[in-house]
Amino acid sequence: MRIFRLMTIAGFAASCFTCAASAQTAADLVASQKSTKEILTYGMGYNAQRYSSLTQINRKNVKNLTAAWAYGLSDQLGLEAQPLVHDGVIYITNHNRTAAVDGVTGKELWRHNIDYPSETTRVVCCGIVNRGSALYEGKLIRGTLDNYILALDAKTGKEIWKTKIADIASGYSITGAPLIANGVIITGVAGAEFGIRGFLAGLDPATGKEIWRTYTIPAKGEKGSETWEGDSAATGGGSTWVTGSYDPELNLVFWGISNPAPWNPRGRKGDNLYTCGIMALDPKTGAIKWFSQTDPHDAFDHDGVNALVQADIKVNGEAKKVVMQAHRDGFLYVLERATGKFLAVNPFVEMNWASGWDYKTNRPMWTDVYTKALAGEKVEVWPSLTGGTNWHPMSYSPKENLLFINTFNVGMNYQAGDPEKVTAGQRAQFVDLTPIKPANMGYLKAVDPTTGKAKWEIPFKVANTAGTMNTASGLVFTGQLTGEFIAVNSSNGKILWKFQTQSGIIGQPITWEKDGVQYVTIGSGIGGVYAMRTAAAEVTHVPTGSALWTFKLQGK
Amino acid sequence: MKPTLVASLTLCALSSLIIGAAAQDAPVDLVKVGAKTYDTNCAPCHGDKLVSSGIAFDLKRLREDERPRFDNSVTNGKNAMPSWRGIIKEKDLDALWAYIRANAYP
Ligand code: HEC
Repeated sequence: MRIFRLMTIAGFAASCFTCAASAQTAADLVASQKSTKEILTYGMGYNAQRYSSLTQINRKNVKNLTAAWAYGLSDQLGLEAQPLVHDGVIYITNHNRTAAVDGVTGKELWRHNIDYPSETTRVVCCGIVNRGSALYEGKLIRGTLDNYILALDAKTGKEIWKTKIADIASGYSITGAPLIANGVIITGVAGAEFGIRGFLAGLDPATGKEIWRTYTIPAKGEKGSETWEGDSAATGGGSTWVTGSYDPELNLVFWGISNPAPWNPRGRKGDNLYTCGIMALDPKTGAIKWFSQTDPHDAFDHDGVNALVQADIKVNGEAKKVVMQAHRDGFLYVLERATGKFLAVNPFVEMNWASGWDYKTNRPMWTDVYTKALAGEKVEVWPSLTGGTNWHPMSYSPKENLLFINTFNVGMNYQAGDPEKVTAGQRAQFVDLTPIKPANMGYLKAVDPTTGKAKWEIPFKVANTAGTMNTASGLVFTGQLTGEFIAVNSSNGKILWKFQTQSGIIGQPITWEKDGVQYVTIGSGIGGVYAMRTAAAEVTHVPTGSALWTFKLQGK
Repeated sequence: MKPTLVASLTLCALSSLIIGAAAQDAPVDLVKVGAKTYDTNCAPCHGDKLVSSGIAFDLKRLREDERPRFDNSVTNGKNAMPSWRGIIKEKDLDALWAYIRANAYP
């Protein structure tokens, strides 16, 4: 096994010999972005592009893609997690299980179960799920709904340490995957619907000890606290529930900060720092290096946590190192990684609350939809609180300079009545909402990062809430809420292959190789707040139950 | 929400006698209070307006004689269904039950 591992990462042998005892060092994590065998981080590499250079499966032969195996998770509540792959072993997580599975045979190697207290899910706003784990020095690291970070022995599944970082009674939960950057475990928290004070925490992978904590909402008297009305900051939300990305060269971690609490804006006048924006931090200390706010004083739960994808692209003819975010609010943001400067901001979906971006003030150009909403009037808002897209990550093709995004086409009738006080730990929204659902509730779009314009789009009656992934052979993989796993031609949007899985897909596809065979792996298992709440009527004929599927070409 | 809630909770206390017996005929206001509590606390998992995706239990399936089951599950939780002890009070249970029964399958 050891010998094989050394072979598979021969490219980084130098860094590995110095640490022979431990796999997945900080250098391995950096290098895995280019590896076709190892998927060691959320996002399939620190840049979160979800792009693979593998080409064995291509546009011509994808029709011969066939199921190699399926692994059931004995669970009804949904499978959102991105699997990891190391040494041909797949690691998969959901709300109550972590499992290691042989990637070639689908046989379970170990499983570890989680029992959380029965009041836990009361503060889980958006699906009883987990989105993934992290690997570091032989440990498989994940969060739990009741706010523990767990480190398991990646070989055996035995618990090594367990650290509690927050209380469910105060409204916190963890659903996102940890990010390990420069040797520090970084985790976010959920709970902006329950009046939390959001934060990011850094933990030591060896011991589980918390090294730093950076609040996203300033304390009384701190800089930024003047952007909140009265004492509204104390329960101001600003959760960090979706995993960010890391630039090892700049040594910066990028993380999206969610909406302010409550959704009703009328009792928290001001910009509400540091909600609804992108934050860059030093992973060693948690120090904030820059913060770029996308939605000052958000009224619509246009939660800013969407995937932060890095690339080196041309903006107005100039080469730039950027971080990109297709935001809930409907804008596609392109920011300079070193400074947080807004380089390009364009709509990628139908939107009416802003008419554009003001690059002088670095603020949206609000329309009367927004000002009327603040005045308590009833308004029709696009996109709805579900957003132009949501947590499910987009992918980027450096070859084609396109982003592949599963978007929503859902609006809402919205009214914020008189504001009420938030109690930490209790659900706080205080707005009246009804979704507006057109015939096609979503699209898969191939979007130009600097214009927001779609090169092609595929309409879907029921919106997709799965991640996308793409390969150098020009294929985009994603899944439908009705269970179809699909492969799409990345240059024209033609669906080339389709496979009906046993449930609805809300997972994140990955591709990897072992012994010269390319595999594609995806979780199927309907769940998440969109399926449970908004699109319930559309998915009543989609059975529940979670399974991890792996595909390869026939005859391989 | 607070003034209405207080008002309707009073109403709910007054009318609690008739709820158990004939939920279908529950006073409109109690159903409304239940709808609001449902929308805030239950809809994220059980579906807008009680339309279930089938992921969490379809509450419209609860039969008239299942009030004890309802009370027990909401108070104590069941698997991933959270316990609402200390949050959903007796009076909220009455209102929720009225709302659910008013929309139950025949
Ligand atoms: C976080 C998600 C979630 C929320 C919020 C939630 N439920 Fe549930 N509920 C579930 C799940 C999941 C089940 C299925 C439990 C099982 O049988 O495994 C369930 C089951 C139930 C059941 C049936 C239990 C039984 O006896 O079989 C009742 C009754 C119920 N819920 C009522 C409510 C009410 C009332 C609310 C709001 C106060 C609520 N739920 C809020 C997730 C939720």
